[in-house]
Amino acid sequence: MVSRNILRALDRIQLTIILAILGIPIVWIFMLAFKSRTEVAALPPKLIFTPTLENFVELFNRNDFLHATINSMIVASGSTVLGIVLGVPAAFAISWHRMSWPATITLFARMAPGTLFLLPWLIMFTKLGLVGSHLVLILTHAAITLPVVIWVLLPYMDALPRELVESAQIDGARQDQILRLVAIPIVSGGMVVAAILSFVFSWNYFVFALVLSGIRTKTAIVASFNFIGEGVTNWGALMAAAVIIALPPLILTLLIQKRLVGGLASGAVKG
Amino acid sequence: MRTSSKNVLAGYHWMAAPAMVFTIGMIGFPIGYAIWLSLSNVPPGGDPVFSGLENYARLVKDPEFWNAFKLTVSLYAMSLSMQLILGTWLGLLLGRSRAAQGLTRVILVSPFMLPPVVVGMMAIVILDPSFGIANWLLAQIGLPPGLWLSDPKTVLFTFAVLDTWQWTPFVALIVMGGYLSLPAEVFEAVELDGATSFQRFWHVTLPLLGPTLVTAAVLRSVDILRFFDVIYLTTQGGPGNSSTTLNILAYRRGFEFFDFGYASAIMITLSAVVFGTVLIFSKLRAAVAW
Repeated sequence: MVSRNILRALDRIQLTIILAILGIPIVWIFMLAFKSRTEVAALPPKLIFTPTLENFVELFNRNDFLHATINSMIVASGSTVLGIVLGVPAAFAISWHRMSWPATITLFARMAPGTLFLLPWLIMFTKLGLVGSHLVLILTHAAITLPVVIWVLLPYMDALPRELVESAQIDGARQDQILRLVAIPIVSGGMVVAAILSFVFSWNYFVFALVLSGIRTKTAIVASFNFIGEGVTNWGALMAAAVIIALPPLILTLLIQKRLVGGLASGAVKG
Repeated sequence: MRTSSKNVLAGYHWMAAPAMVFTIGMIGFPIGYAIWLSLSNVPPGGDPVFSGLENYARLVKDPEFWNAFKLTVSLYAMSLSMQLILGTWLGLLLGRSRAAQGLTRVILVSPFMLPPVVVGMMAIVILDPSFGIANWLLAQIGLPPGLWLSDPKTVLFTFAVLDTWQWTPFVALIVMGGYLSLPAEVFEAVELDGATSFQRFWHVTLPLLGPTLVTAAVLRSVDILRFFDVIYLTTQGGPGNSSTTLNILAYRRGFEFFDFGYASAIMITLSAVVFGTVLIFSKLRAAVAW
């Protein structure tokens, strides 16, 4: 079938073009980050160059970027742990009892614009004296991670065989034991996906930390934003910052890309 | 001491309680507070005083609000239509060739897992009118350079393109899932009918993908209507007011001018637009179900 082969070749060409458009800008920022000051804005661009770490050295020396990166780690880990601790039992209960309103509430939280909560939070947390602390960032970012954990875990919890839980009940297991020893081991794969997505979403989140962080608790995302005014004249360091904040999400995504794609694809079927 | 028989009867509802308390405290209460602020006059540094619908009356008469509303709607229309069209194209391509594996899959998921801030930084460097690679490439093929984010006429479209770059693969993966789950017999039947590939797409595939596309549209609508990070990072709503969408306007009113009451009224209005859109799509979903 010649025509079928031609069609297949056409598909391949289209796909290659699209993948190039999607991938090249990311490769491009990585390349700029490793170019020397004289090469970074050179046109025509130098595609073959000697990679240098000078942009990263400058970034970390001048901007306390290391501190900001550590802050991001603290906030993203903290809000992920909080999201998991609150979300795993909730997902179990919601799935087991087919509770609809808690699922709806968390969906609501996912849909409302973040800036809507931000003014009340600023007022509330100023009164509590928490603005500028790691705690306030962990709490507010958990408002992002909790719905993620619940919605990622619901299908896993729904797939839990009910007989397993019921027979454990008959054997006299306490409810917390059923959660810890029966449900969690079975849904642990889903928990990994939920934790990674939570970490990435929290890491990427910009506007809460923009308003609620202090000088000592600035996240890497906010530090990058503050660096832009300067970075307009120093593209190398700006791209080094972009690489530092892009790497954790990209690396973590690699670990779950297969499940992520599977989840999106099956979500389409179930709606 | 609990007995095992009690245990069988007991529900697990309480396990959802901590999450619900947290959600009500962190989301429910602030939303209520925001509604109250939107009905109040808040002098800078002072306490809110109830003022009824004054902020909303001001909003209806404010040309800046209507400008922001118009910009939000046009950004939404441009972004969503591009993402759905290109996402359907790419999704069917992926489904037909079963290509979402290995490196291809990595490239597909990378854009939408990137921090939006990185997309903004990328735009600053790549779309720089004088030193960016985009204009250099255009010049190589004989096209005139663009001003991109620096031109009030192109800034909004440029944001739509950036969001489309980031999120088309997301739509495509959803479409791919929908396509691969379609019953094979349908395609075999139309193949026998001798339908052209366009007829097949228009009369068979597209209607069958209706519910999938609505799902993708809802997920994207929520994000595009709140689109904030990339704008705030690059133009902060400019040049002039040409990219001051509702979310940017509300943020600047609230956190740069400390006009808490008015900012809250804008945010409540934006939220109503988001929920209204989701509601319309959920009705639409029932209409295209098969």
